[in-house]
Amino acid sequence: MTPGKPHLGGAAAGRHRPSQAMLGLSLLAVVAAAACGSTSSASSSSSSAGLASSQVLKFPAFQNPGTWDPGEADAEVDTEFMQNVFDNLWRFDDSLNIVPDIATTVPTTANGGVSSDGLTYTVHLNQSATFNNGDKVTAQDVLYSWDRAVALQGAYSANLSAIAGYSDVQKAAGSPPASSTGSPEGFQQSIEDGLWGCFRGKGTAGATCNSSLELSGLTAPDGLTGYTVQIKLANACGWCLAAWTLEGTTGAIVDENAIHSDPVNWWTKPSGKTDGMVGTGAFYLASFIPKQSMVFKAVKNWWGSPKPTLTEVDVDIKDPSALATTVAAWKQGSYGIIGYGGDSGNLDYPTIESITSSTYSKDLLTQPKGRTTWLSFDIGYPKTGGPFVGESATAVGLRKAFDLAVDKTGLASTVCHDLLCTAATGGLITKGLTGYLGDNQDPLAQYDPTEAKQLLKQYDPTGTLTANLTYSYNTGGLNDPVAEYLQNDWQTNLGIHVNLNPVGDASQFISNRLGGQYEMSRDGWQFDYNNPQDWFDNLWGYLATAAGANTSGFDDPTYDSILKQADTEPIDQALPLYKQLAQILQQDVAYIPLYYSVGNFLIQPWVKGAGSNTGFDYYWDQISILSH
Amino acid sequence: MTRGTLIYIVQRLAIIVLTLLVVSFVVFVVVHALPGNAFISQRVHGRSLQLLLHEYGLDQPVLIQYWNFLKGAIHGDLGVSLYIRGEQVTPLVLRELSVSCELGGAALIVTIGLGMTFGVLAAIRQNTWVDYLLTTLAVVGYTVPSFVIAGLGIMIFANFLGSVTGGAIAYSPVWTGTYGTIGELWLPALSIGLYTSGQITRITRASMLEVIQQDYIRTARAKGLREWVVTLRHALRNALVPVISILGTTVVGILVGVLVIENIFGIPGLGKEFVESILQHDYNVTVGVFTIFALLIGLSNLAVDLIYTVVDPRIRY
Repeated sequence: MTPGKPHLGGAAAGRHRPSQAMLGLSLLAVVAAAACGSTSSASSSSSSAGLASSQVLKFPAFQNPGTWDPGEADAEVDTEFMQNVFDNLWRFDDSLNIVPDIATTVPTTANGGVSSDGLTYTVHLNQSATFNNGDKVTAQDVLYSWDRAVALQGAYSANLSAIAGYSDVQKAAGSPPASSTGSPEGFQQSIEDGLWGCFRGKGTAGATCNSSLELSGLTAPDGLTGYTVQIKLANACGWCLAAWTLEGTTGAIVDENAIHSDPVNWWTKPSGKTDGMVGTGAFYLASFIPKQSMVFKAVKNWWGSPKPTLTEVDVDIKDPSALATTVAAWKQGSYGIIGYGGDSGNLDYPTIESITSSTYSKDLLTQPKGRTTWLSFDIGYPKTGGPFVGESATAVGLRKAFDLAVDKTGLASTVCHDLLCTAATGGLITKGLTGYLGDNQDPLAQYDPTEAKQLLKQYDPTGTLTANLTYSYNTGGLNDPVAEYLQNDWQTNLGIHVNLNPVGDASQFISNRLGGQYEMSRDGWQFDYNNPQDWFDNLWGYLATAAGANTSGFDDPTYDSILKQADTEPIDQALPLYKQLAQILQQDVAYIPLYYSVGNFLIQPWVKGAGSNTGFDYYWDQISILSH
Repeated sequence: MTRGTLIYIVQRLAIIVLTLLVVSFVVFVVVHALPGNAFISQRVHGRSLQLLLHEYGLDQPVLIQYWNFLKGAIHGDLGVSLYIRGEQVTPLVLRELSVSCELGGAALIVTIGLGMTFGVLAAIRQNTWVDYLLTTLAVVGYTVPSFVIAGLGIMIFANFLGSVTGGAIAYSPVWTGTYGTIGELWLPALSIGLYTSGQITRITRASMLEVIQQDYIRTARAKGLREWVVTLRHALRNALVPVISILGTTVVGILVGVLVIENIFGIPGLGKEFVESILQHDYNVTVGVFTIFALLIGLSNLAVDLIYTVVDPRIRY
């Protein structure tokens, strides 16, 4: 309002001013706010070539960690982070070869690390290895870490199952007491208390050792503070070394000093001297705000190699629904990478398509991942029923008909646009992993609608057996379009309408599937370690049945017998046996191969050394930030 | 504060407590009845699964579980998260609540600030282009959902502006800490606020139009008071009563907006948790979030009722 003007007449005279000013101010505020929120990718840049002055890598994660306790971990997203914080005795290099980590060598019969009968491993520890709190890594830490992991009985405890005394320890640890508070503290505390007196707490006041929690096959010949560990197996094991090498799980070495003070929540706390997430890796947890962010910092004077160039890794925890804003932030340079942390499957097709048709296309890294998706038939659960149950010629013939009616190559191009997946033509084990049969070597990958129709006519001439079939799957991602594709192929090539049963809750779906409650269901596996045993033990046969994980119910004495033998052999001798197992499954038409997953990463050109192999992100200590 | 008001507050607080008990019980029972659980996966099944269920007390009857939950909740302990295993729920949801309060507060400022400013301007410039523009904006704001406004905002201020200016001036859709900066906050707040401010604009305009035609306004002008004094001090105060009457529902609208917008912008607040915890079968978190939302709505409605007495002295409890 202009001063001096008559307030009534002036109101009329200056009528438009307040509104115009207000609107103008609003516009200005919006632009100013936009500027406030601006991020210039050049803000930290330097024109000179070489490393940027700030070596802080920032990327989003689309999942919260469930647990980073290696004794309890069970998710890829967790192990992707933990591999940078914890070390095992060995590690997988970028080509998935097993190389020394805390151990000085990879034990073989030739170097004396493995006894001639294959039952005893002698491991020498790197004497320079330390936890990030300064504690030296000695034999007692290996014994404690593995004893504890077995006692906790987590999802990956079976990785240590070949070690003598495994069952005894689990029996001694028993079941946790019923919780009245909803907290698992009692169980984990009793294990910590039982082991404290055996290792780092030995001799301290009040510490007692519950020796029944110690694996009899795990000893320290040079003493607990020495650098030699001897592992005695109850039976020969050709896959154990790979399983023990799996990062972030039961093979990881943890610090008893840090865990003892808070057995449940130690991993959620920043690393301290005697508490928090203490590890031996190149990075330590500096901050963790659940469902918000994590900060990892490089360990100064880290004992391993390569020495980290990054000083800090900042991770924002996002919901997958925030993908669009996250990608926009990456384009602005706020994030160095999208896809790290087990999230390479989160970029959807529209996003990837928009990237490939833009100037950012060179920043897209496409990497086949070790995950296969297939369809499982109900073979061994008569209670569920359906035409596919059993080993009769009719059941096998109908399974074959449904398999041959699906165009796997067409599925990969139609559903995945040849970007998100590739056709699974080389067997269940993904390309790039040991046990892959070779391109187009899986007979079940064939597409032959004519033979499919003949088989259907032969085994179900009236159509009564195949009427009212249902394919079940958990919704989300590629599962919905894949289901529709399958339905369409069966309708087109067999003239059969298969009902779709989309299950919104993944845990419910998995529970039902593991219980054999579906006649046809989506199935799949993401490999843990590069050994075919990881597939054939966990998904079919007597071991899977005993573990409650035999989706199809397929079990066969010949399969079981070959599996038993294969599991005990070194990989070069075991491989032909595992291939026999693959053939048994193929001859039985136990599955319909669908696709191999492909991961997609967005990596800024100034992030050097980042990448991924079939299994894991490259370690953070290989990454550096270039001037930009 | 009169004795009557005090009694009214106590009664309302008792009803809120009762509501919280009912909400927590119903939600607790319903989420536990949903098929599936937080632990099961391709790798966690059989004995591993049974151990986890036992460890976390989930194999007990649901009423016993609720009783255990309630005993803790009375002492401010909402139990532990099942998804982030062992993480305490109370500090988690309180932190997320504070984040949502920041966003909700900013959205409320936008709602009231824009809504009332536009409403007043439209009223005092009735039947001019300003009136037409602002009422049109209000209708558009009221009819376009907040997530559409958010999407458009991201396209314009993050993507378009970012590409046009080479990233020099653009909205950066990254929430960098627990609490957002003004640069991070304005677009999410605007997305929620534009939607809810539409209603405020319309009510304020209608109310103002009614009030500025009253005799006392004419008298005030005749006394020679400046126009802004007449508008703000005499007209607006009386026009506020109907606006405040819808403030309760507006706050609920903002809370609903927070649920959606936090997911779009990846803001680590209670709204994001609302959806996540259900999908993750994180029972204690879900119950905590629902209970806090019920508490927020109860308290905000109580606050609105108390504000009535300040704005309109005729109202007494």
